[in-house]
Amino acid sequence: MFSPFDLPIPISILITDELSSPADFALHQYLISHIKEKKNSLQIVLSVSEGLTRWQSISAKSNIDLPKQIAAETFHLIDVTSALESDKVASGSTPPSPFHALYEQIVSLFEKNKAAGRDSDALVILDDISSLEWVGYSASDLCRLCRALRALCLKNQATLIIRHHLVQTSGEMDPLFRHLHALCMYHLDVQPLTSGRSGAVSGQIALHPGPNAFSTLPSLVKVRSRSAALQYRLTDGNAVFFERGSSRGVL
Amino acid sequence: MSFKRKVTSKTAVLPGTRPSPGSIATTITSTGIPSLDDILGGGLPLSCSLVVAAPDPHSSYGELVQKTFVSQGLACKQDVLVVGGYQNALDWVKGCMWFHSSASQAEETGEDEKPADEDQKIKIAWRYEQMKQFQTTVGSTSVSEDFCRIFDLTTRIPAHTVEKALQSGQLIPCDVLDAESRSESVTQRVLDCFEEVLSQRSSKATTTPLRICIPGFGSSAWGDLRSQDILRFLHRLRSILQRNPSVCASISLEPHISTDAWGGQGWIQKLGWMCDGLITLDAFTINPSLSTLFPSHHGMVHIHTLPSPHTLLSPSDRFSTLRGLAASATEGGSSSGENNLAFKCTRKRLIFETMHLDVEGGVGERRTTPAANTGVLDSEHMHTNLQSQSSNTNAPVSKAALASVEVKVEVEVEPLPLRQSHVTTSPTAPAAKVPSYDDARASAVQEDSQAPKVRPKKPKKTVAFRSDRPDLYDF
Repeated sequence: MFSPFDLPIPISILITDELSSPADFALHQYLISHIKEKKNSLQIVLSVSEGLTRWQSISAKSNIDLPKQIAAETFHLIDVTSALESDKVASGSTPPSPFHALYEQIVSLFEKNKAAGRDSDALVILDDISSLEWVGYSASDLCRLCRALRALCLKNQATLIIRHHLVQTSGEMDPLFRHLHALCMYHLDVQPLTSGRSGAVSGQIALHPGPNAFSTLPSLVKVRSRSAALQYRLTDGNAVFFERGSSRGVL
Repeated sequence: MSFKRKVTSKTAVLPGTRPSPGSIATTITSTGIPSLDDILGGGLPLSCSLVVAAPDPHSSYGELVQKTFVSQGLACKQDVLVVGGYQNALDWVKGCMWFHSSASQAEETGEDEKPADEDQKIKIAWRYEQMKQFQTTVGSTSVSEDFCRIFDLTTRIPAHTVEKALQSGQLIPCDVLDAESRSESVTQRVLDCFEEVLSQRSSKATTTPLRICIPGFGSSAWGDLRSQDILRFLHRLRSILQRNPSVCASISLEPHISTDAWGGQGWIQKLGWMCDGLITLDAFTINPSLSTLFPSHHGMVHIHTLPSPHTLLSPSDRFSTLRGLAASATEGGSSSGENNLAFKCTRKRLIFETMHLDVEGGVGERRTTPAANTGVLDSEHMHTNLQSQSSNTNAPVSKAALASVEVKVEVEVEPLPLRQSHVTTSPTAPAAKVPSYDDARASAVQEDSQAPKVRPKKPKKTVAFRSDRPDLYDF
């Protein structure tokens, strides 16, 4: 799964990115390869900032018909912000956790999937957790949500991908990032080039082992430090990966 | 096997829009500034938001962008919703600029660019005279006039145009201070206003694009906004836009919230994640030394993020001439990266353009002096100098530590061709080769022709670089 690194499944990955190098391509590519390889399995996207239109149009460029997947009930996109607001209105009072209803919704999707007799290799993408923190949800609630999602995915042998935006802070490590890092098996680090934007290279991508990486076979995954990061160039619907110094601009 | 001819679907073209050059699914509309449209990849896509941060408190370039955005919307018959902050929305719209009639438009396009002393004809060398003038910006590339009008900052929007737009419902003013309810926040009231307008439009099945314009977001009229409130507002607005594909929004931030100093480190990046496009117009008036350094510009343009509603790669990366990323990607040569961008506000319009250093390196005077220990020395002088130095030096510096590089340059003077020699004044051209064209020079030529044929050989020039310290990487 995810061609440049051949990550095993099930797995939990933390993807971090920056404003000048968004990791959209990694999420889309993961979803596309999952749909192509596991045709009869469940995909759930918990989208905070992106609408369904964008997911559809980018998937369509890789010959994936998302409306067809939605009709077959294998693909579910949950607009997290709308879901949280409607829960707030429906409950009337403040619930014990703002994400409780959302979590229940995901559990019910897993149960339906099991009842339908589909494959267990599901995919859950949480895109993105930082925006939820910035609009006012507490870091502790978000950590609880992520812990619960990871436990659910482990139980159902599903892959969990969480995207987190890194912003410049004054030397202190983001507490939410620390919690997320503790949960993940691998940390996919998408960074911009220090030399600025370029048409030939869009950014670079490194893969670090997480604290839970021991549970996968280490020989299967080749980690890459930042100094040996893989570079990529974006196209309309995909990303092209290449080693440093081998871009078209160099060769 | 049979082939079917690919026929583009005939969809109704919305006023003031056109399909994006990169994707048919994306419909773009103009901001009213052709060069800003180019930076956005052709225009602002519908269903997207553009935030303009202008941190300089002494100027209002962000507001100028908003006024052009509104003027363009009214000019191309789109619906425009304006949120009034510290000023009544309607009064604010009355201060927008307008365009001239199409007949005089073409004449006025390049008026500002003409130099003041145009009458004084500058003599340009024949080989450069035919060259195309160096372009630092782009003009309107639109085929239809409606897509992007050329607005004149000296012309105000006619009062009857505003009245007519107001009566027809094309212009929708929304004042944050007018809202009755005091129980909820200002941002919530404004969002409710948007939802109400959009629900009315959907009930009427209106397909005309709607522009939402929020000038001076975060001003005192908005109350005490926290960073969280601003981010939540932008996030909600983005989700409203995603649900309404015929709506776009342009927002300018108040100067005090346009920097990291207000929202803490990473504030601008957070803003960038909450909208589709974010640019900063960093005016030089905040720093007088910069305006001295760049006299032909009024500020720098920083691009943080750009809209890409249907693709991974922003259309701007592929189609923007000013940013210059497309050229480096396609040509595959030594890509120079993204161009530096700046803006200038002339008497008639706001222009975004590429920023280049002057011939002398960006300053009006030479600031560097030749290094004291580097120079062009004669070979003899260099050797004597080296010898004397090595003999005089008692310091424990070994000979190996003295790194020296010798570069020998042989200059062979070729006689100039006959047809060029009469115009040259170079002292390197031997006068013996000059044919006698006039009587005045004839005698001089005769004298020189008697000179010995053997030209004196110029001494070989040698450039020496020395360092009296061992090289860092010398093992």
